[in-house]
Amino acid sequence: MKQILIVEDDAAISAELTELLKNAGYQAAVLTDFAQAAETIAAAGADLLLLDINLPGLNGELLLREIRKTSQMPVIMVTSRTSEADEVLSMSYGADDYITKPYNPTILLLRIANIFKRIDAASEGTAALHYRDVLVNPAKGTLVRGTEELLLTKNEMIIFQLLLENQERIVSRDALMTDLWDNNEFINDNALTVNISRLRAKLSEFGYPDAIETRKKQGYVLVR
Amino acid sequence: MRFTSYIKDKLFCIVTYVAFFLVFWLMMLAFRSPAPLIRAFALLLFFLAAANLSWDYLRKRKFYQEFQYNLEYLDKKYLVLETIEKPGFYEGQIWHGAMYEINKSMLEHLKRYEESIRDFKEYIELWVHEVKLPIASLLLMCHNNRGALEKKYVEQIRRVDGYTDQVLYYVRSEHSENDYLIKEVALADLVRKTALKNKDDLLENEVEFSVEHVDVSVITDAKWMEFILNQLVNNSMKYKKKEDSSVIRIFARQDADKTVLHVWDNGVGIAAGDLPQVCKKAFTGENGRTHAKSTGMGLFIVKRLCTKLGHGIEINSRAGEYTDVAITFTKNDYYFRD
Repeated sequence: MKQILIVEDDAAISAELTELLKNAGYQAAVLTDFAQAAETIAAAGADLLLLDINLPGLNGELLLREIRKTSQMPVIMVTSRTSEADEVLSMSYGADDYITKPYNPTILLLRIANIFKRIDAASEGTAALHYRDVLVNPAKGTLVRGTEELLLTKNEMIIFQLLLENQERIVSRDALMTDLWDNNEFINDNALTVNISRLRAKLSEFGYPDAIETRKKQGYVLVR
Repeated sequence: MRFTSYIKDKLFCIVTYVAFFLVFWLMMLAFRSPAPLIRAFALLLFFLAAANLSWDYLRKRKFYQEFQYNLEYLDKKYLVLETIEKPGFYEGQIWHGAMYEINKSMLEHLKRYEESIRDFKEYIELWVHEVKLPIASLLLMCHNNRGALEKKYVEQIRRVDGYTDQVLYYVRSEHSENDYLIKEVALADLVRKTALKNKDDLLENEVEFSVEHVDVSVITDAKWMEFILNQLVNNSMKYKKKEDSSVIRIFARQDADKTVLHVWDNGVGIAAGDLPQVCKKAFTGENGRTHAKSTGMGLFIVKRLCTKLGHGIEINSRAGEYTDVAITFTKNDYYFRD
């Protein structure tokens, strides 16, 4: 399980953020003592850091520069500072992403997932995504089993990938919609329903008739 | 400084000279002085008076002409005192001293005023950053405790967020100093962020959101532009027709020297009479009366921000048919030169 460290001085936000991350299947810890922050963070050994800029007695941007001297851990800046200068500065100090408060929680989760995806892909050479005995190839938009190949449209692949990343967990329609819109597919509710039923039909034809389950009023689950 | 006006001004002095001359002449006659002596004295007196007046006129003219010329051609008139020499005559010196004092006190007054505006601006910035924290907490709480009311809560929280942004960008558009950063920005990114921000609203209201040809880079401040786009999309949704299906189209057209971004909607449009005024501060117009309530600030701020960023903004509309807002980004060759 990936561990995420939250560096945030607002107690309400860090509590909610912890819950959000735990619900999404991450381990979350909150840094409460900002003295010696850089050392504490380095010692914590988290997989990803959510870093605020306005911290008591400390500037997140400078802290990031300090961290980068010893570590290449992924860092997402999460801040209420909305000037472009802050973003450019943070990115130049080596932040992996920059999100302004208030953010859409689903988008924050997507960004975190994207960073982990990128890191995993880099460490394993190629992104080897599997569903049962099928090799998933997002770049080509195909599912491959031996010599058989199933072609998915861009939308279907986005949906399938998000379900796969959250296998055995409920993925809400809103999360699917957010992911699609985040990929510049600005479709409506009907189109989402159509896309899901097409994906179901294709998977069923490919030999997985019950892969996607519907949970009423909650969303969808990709079962193992 | 005109000679005739000067003479008019010195009329009392001249009258005194003439009266003195007449009295002198009568006295000379009474003492039966010889005529040539009288004429010689008369001539001498006349020259003395003329010399006196001319000398006074000339030295004042030298000073006032320079002063009036500088005043006329100076862009910032309150700096005129810095451009002239201190006058040589007494009244001028009093006047110069007084002007100096007045100027100084005005500048001090202005400085206090500027400082208070700057303090206020800093406070607003700080306040907006602070208020974003509870807004962020509320959104997270809604997400973590999903229920029947979640969507309604989120919608209202988003409205609060929108209004706080409006305050922030109003202050920035009025008194921006160093808070914008112009660089190359992918238009598609800005559109995507705007779309995501308004996703729930667009889906809820079944608005068709179509985006085309935005895979271009423009030179702008990303955050400011995001606010501008967000305002325009909000407006399109606010003034959509109730009966027909709504469409918002965002597309960009490329020319050799510029990129034009269009935000087009098939909403209620703007009355022809209102069109020239929609960017004025607090202008609400017909739509403000008959449709959604309006503060008349959105487009005003948008226009101000565009002007500060150097983008053109043009609004075309036909009442009952469409509204099209076009933002022009010039392609600056200089910027790309190494």
